[in-house]
Amino acid sequence: MDTTRTLLKKLSRRNEPYIFLVLLALCLLIEFRSGQFFSSNNLVDIASALIVPGLFAIGTFLVIISGGIDVSFPALASLSMYATTKYLLDINYQGGVWAAILMALVIGALLGAFNGLFIGYFKLPALIVTLGSSSVFKGIMQGALNSKQLTIIPSGMRNWGTSAIFTARNPVSGLTSRMPVAFIAFVIVLLFVFFILKYTMFGRGIYAIGGSEVSAHRAGFNVVRTKVVMYIMVGMIASLAGVIRACMMQQAHPTNMLGMEMNIIAGVVLGGTAITGGRGTLLGCMLGTLLIVIVENSMILLGIPTSYRSVFTGAMIIIGTGISAYQVMHMNKTHSKRTKSKEAA
Amino acid sequence: MKKILAFALIVLLLGPTLFAAGQAEKKTGYEIVVVPKDASNPWFVRMKVGVDEYAKETGLNVYQRGTAQIDATLQAQLVQDLIAQGVDAICVVPVDLESLEPVLGQARDAGIVVIAHEGADLENVDYDIEAFSNAGYGAFIMDNLAEAMGGEGLYTTMVASLTNGSHNEWANAGVAHQKATYPKMKLLEQEPRVESNDNGDVAYNVAKELFKKYPNLKGVMGTSSYDAPGVARAIQELGLVDKAFTSGTGMPLDNAELLESGVVKSLTLWDPALAGKAMISLAVKVLDGEEITEPVDLGVEGYTNMMFRKGSSTVLEGEGWIVINADNVYDFGF
Repeated sequence: MDTTRTLLKKLSRRNEPYIFLVLLALCLLIEFRSGQFFSSNNLVDIASALIVPGLFAIGTFLVIISGGIDVSFPALASLSMYATTKYLLDINYQGGVWAAILMALVIGALLGAFNGLFIGYFKLPALIVTLGSSSVFKGIMQGALNSKQLTIIPSGMRNWGTSAIFTARNPVSGLTSRMPVAFIAFVIVLLFVFFILKYTMFGRGIYAIGGSEVSAHRAGFNVVRTKVVMYIMVGMIASLAGVIRACMMQQAHPTNMLGMEMNIIAGVVLGGTAITGGRGTLLGCMLGTLLIVIVENSMILLGIPTSYRSVFTGAMIIIGTGISAYQVMHMNKTHSKRTKSKEAA
Repeated sequence: MKKILAFALIVLLLGPTLFAAGQAEKKTGYEIVVVPKDASNPWFVRMKVGVDEYAKETGLNVYQRGTAQIDATLQAQLVQDLIAQGVDAICVVPVDLESLEPVLGQARDAGIVVIAHEGADLENVDYDIEAFSNAGYGAFIMDNLAEAMGGEGLYTTMVASLTNGSHNEWANAGVAHQKATYPKMKLLEQEPRVESNDNGDVAYNVAKELFKKYPNLKGVMGTSSYDAPGVARAIQELGLVDKAFTSGTGMPLDNAELLESGVVKSLTLWDPALAGKAMISLAVKVLDGEEITEPVDLGVEGYTNMMFRKGSSTVLEGEGWIVINADNVYDFGF
């Protein structure tokens, strides 16, 4: 009895249960309005729509945990995806998707290192650096690569993008939806990052730096190296997302990922990650992103008129983040009461 | 030998004047240049095909000259060079209206005829040619959708955004045309217009939602070039091929696979080759001193019954839309 009570108490202080409840309420509302939400093919649709935003969210989560912010990942992903696709088309590559993924990862690592160098090594503010690098990446794409929509992508990428783990069929309507193989890549990255954050010094270092850079340094963390390596990792994750997007869409569009950053960051913060860094869980981050993805992909099921769509998305973000912000405030209050210190804001 | 050569030379020199004398003496001297936005874009490569064809058919000194890349400044310089060169007419597809306006003013001051295409707001032009009126094009898309749907069933419309001017005009015209012509078709009242944000992925996800929520939905009228292809991907994945249909603007080669596999029956577009021909034909008319009155017949398919845009005395609108289907998808080179 006592243990369940402490568990509940512990849970009530965490953010995830609240997000989960909001998520559940939203799902029930959609189900109630359309009768379609919990149908097998709709769930598969949501999962497939989660892949790219989910990967972006993992990268953004790492950056925010470390006390930084990254607005360059859509441009970074676009650039490495576009360069990869274009190069493979130019050499008339006929093999599997692996070459595309590997090449994008290498480019992503280089571009991530570019961010990491300025943010970690030169200690410039992350927002300014990534705003700048975002323009640089877009510029390289438009200038050096002379980007325009590539509607034909290498056959390996095309086949991988449409291959399915399984196909869900709605018994009532007969509609079918594919669960893309790319979902496996997403799960692998998720588990990998979870493991790193939980069980490696490097991962704990990211949290420590986000909490207080000076303390982390004094505690013996190599702040510069941790940051640079982390930005390289984030660049690679974003690039993977870019390639997956191109494969799934069956075309390489240089600009249509741009502008995703705001909703991704909103999703991560919604999931209880402190925008100031140092605090947050991957589970919360995923719940927040899932909430955003569901909101974005259920407007018609909900029956919200097209003109009010952005109002509704915005309202969901404010309500969601409001709840988590309120939680943090509440936690700080009880914390300060307990330690009997004066106004620990 | 020398005599024969000399004779041949004389025939060559005099020939055209002799032959042309019967029909239109003035035509022979015209030098008309078409200036596209750039030279490498497949769209304008296709336009050049039309221009070259026109030159071959009429024997006029007509050619297309474009800059290596899309650049408003370079285009303005090119037009200035052409003015100095003393050409008779310049047909231009402007990159940037504002930077071109003063240069076109200089051209007209120099007595050069200026014809524009897709530059309806330009002032320093003799005429501007638009392939079609928004209302006409919307009705045309609807005809294609209705044909695929067999003239009956529930449909909705998709635009890039609710604030996009031409897309919404096309969609409105399409709906109006349906009401007048296809009584068995019905607009989906709950979602009469959805947005694709000019993004194929959004179009795809929105279409999936639409078909899930409204199982009776049978057609989606697309407007932006991302709409119909995106919807088609959803139709394919959901297993609705030949049960649900879409039509709308789309580039041929980009959608070759969709058209050939029959997921999309037809897409709509306008042909830059014909637009190029129409521009030159109009330039010749102006140079000949013909009076341009409605309806203008330029002798080019789709441009035979051109009307002035309401309230404008320079903008001429044709009916230059074309259908792209599995049969002609490879004919355009873009």
